[in-house]
Amino acid sequence: MLFPEIVIAGCGNPLFADDGFGPAVIEEMHNLSLPDNVMIIDAGLGGPHFIFTLLDPEVTKKLIIVDIADYGAEPGSITKLRVEDLPPGAYRDAHSWDLAEPLQRIKDRVDITIIGVQPARVTAPEFEEGLSDELQKAIPKTIRVILETIGVDYGTTINLQEERRQRGTAETCSSPESR
Amino acid sequence: MSKVVEISPTTRHEGHSKMVLKVNDQGIIETGNWCSITPVRGVEKLAVGKTPEQVPKIASRVCGICPIAHNLAATEAMEASIKCEIPKDALMLRHILQLANRLHSIALHDILILPDLYLPGTEVKINPFTAEEPVRTVAKRIQRLREIGQTIGQIAGGDCIHPRNTRVGGMYRNCSDQAKIKMYDLAKEALPLAKAQMDLMIAILRNYQARESVDVGGMKVALPKTLGYHNQGYLATHAFYGSSSLEECPSWDIERFKEVRPWDWYMGEMEVSLEEPRYPIGGTTKIGTKTNPQMEACTGIPMYDGQPVEVGPRARLAVYKGYDEKGTVGQNIAREMEYTDCLYEMIDCIDALNPNGKVVADYIPDGDGALGWASNEAPRGTDVHIARVKDWKVQYFSMLVPTTWNFATCSAALTGAPWQLAEVIMRGYDPCVSCATHMIVVDEDNKVVAQKLIQ
Repeated sequence: MLFPEIVIAGCGNPLFADDGFGPAVIEEMHNLSLPDNVMIIDAGLGGPHFIFTLLDPEVTKKLIIVDIADYGAEPGSITKLRVEDLPPGAYRDAHSWDLAEPLQRIKDRVDITIIGVQPARVTAPEFEEGLSDELQKAIPKTIRVILETIGVDYGTTINLQEERRQRGTAETCSSPESR
Repeated sequence: MSKVVEISPTTRHEGHSKMVLKVNDQGIIETGNWCSITPVRGVEKLAVGKTPEQVPKIASRVCGICPIAHNLAATEAMEASIKCEIPKDALMLRHILQLANRLHSIALHDILILPDLYLPGTEVKINPFTAEEPVRTVAKRIQRLREIGQTIGQIAGGDCIHPRNTRVGGMYRNCSDQAKIKMYDLAKEALPLAKAQMDLMIAILRNYQARESVDVGGMKVALPKTLGYHNQGYLATHAFYGSSSLEECPSWDIERFKEVRPWDWYMGEMEVSLEEPRYPIGGTTKIGTKTNPQMEACTGIPMYDGQPVEVGPRARLAVYKGYDEKGTVGQNIAREMEYTDCLYEMIDCIDALNPNGKVVADYIPDGDGALGWASNEAPRGTDVHIARVKDWKVQYFSMLVPTTWNFATCSAALTGAPWQLAEVIMRGYDPCVSCATHMIVVDEDNKVVAQKLIQ
């Protein structure tokens, strides 16, 4: 089977500034060693057709989607959403995949959590690389939320007290020198 | 008296586009314009000054469904500019990755076109999501083929969507012996499935072709025997993979290529004068709506020898294997025929792969500013990237993506067809229009509906 029991997908496009938050979280999570039943994927824009429509509910029990979500909060705020919270059509990617709402189809058989972070700046259709400071800082918090959601205790690897004191970027928080 | 009908957005393909059709009293298309309405700008500008390692990563983000073709074409354009030849085993891994992506893509395309087609012997159109047999078995087979494609791609490319294993100068790492065996087993498993799927799809497509008329949203539409015919010629650069050298691939010469602006090619401002609410998924655009394909089209029109050309599976089969069936059905059948071709080639590449061989070039030059190009035969056609690298910095970068080639060609192929079948013709090209952002908007009024704020 392609996908294991727990799938964590970072969605979004790094060419549109904060839209790259999901892939940036996954990039950061590659520095962690995770249990064998967990797969982390930089889904880019391909979530609906490369992942959501390919999950086997017999095998995959939990899907976590990390993405930006505009819900009118302060930039960098994190929220957990269920598929029911999304209006129909909200998660169709940019693709006219009208056949089905893939998440709606599997939501009763796979436990789906959407971790949405309020963006500060999305530049589409103009390309711009790099996250805003608020979202850069939200990466460690988001990872902690993800790890809590899948029941992995990483308190010793990501030292949150240090993180709070330093106010650094994700790179500095996870680099060996800063620990 | 001609009338204007607009289908916007078009559905069951990747990306956002629309069709503006000038039709006669019988509803036959006189002039058809199919254009991308997704503005994606500035990749060329963004790439300048970056290192050759960064640009393929940027290029792979332009599209959500063909990141592999873009990644490979951009990497190889850099290698062509710096004149770096990669080891054979690295090339084999790239071939496997690319073919695995194609396997997934053909299977996905089956799901997208099946709702246009009929179960042979019945008047029932196929819903690939139904739980009823025989469609259920077919859907499961399609899913397994997609899954195998993605798994093999993941092994060869390091990640199944945005490959992490490719690099300028080769690949980061070779695969293990076990991984090679696993890829081989999966490809062997896929072969009979692909054969069965190909035979079934060809039978379904032939059944469609033989019909006098078809149903579109409750309208009975006469099916022309020349559905999707055009005289625009074909362009392909390799039977499977791609090329970055004119000696190796004389059929793509950058000197013979030119790009013109859409306003030379598309119709100007018009008003929609025909509306059909029964047309599937919300009907066509309302009467009186202003439309202006010249100004709204977001792509240039690439020309080869002064004419738009067709790229994709039929072009590959026509150029390299003497395939000659025209029209939409011929195009879809060509794509189905690539199922088994793609797996036989993949098995050959896996056979040829030495897991102990080196996969990075011994010497990777910094580049002297020479112009390099690389084509990659993406599932939906020739993807050409052009680059200039000097002192390990990209000075120039440009992408000619497959569907851009096909926009004008498909527009020409619309002429003479009933307007209700315009999308059927368009889907034959398996179009992938560059993607935009896809932020979730939780509530239109920006109201906080999230129940549980965490931080």
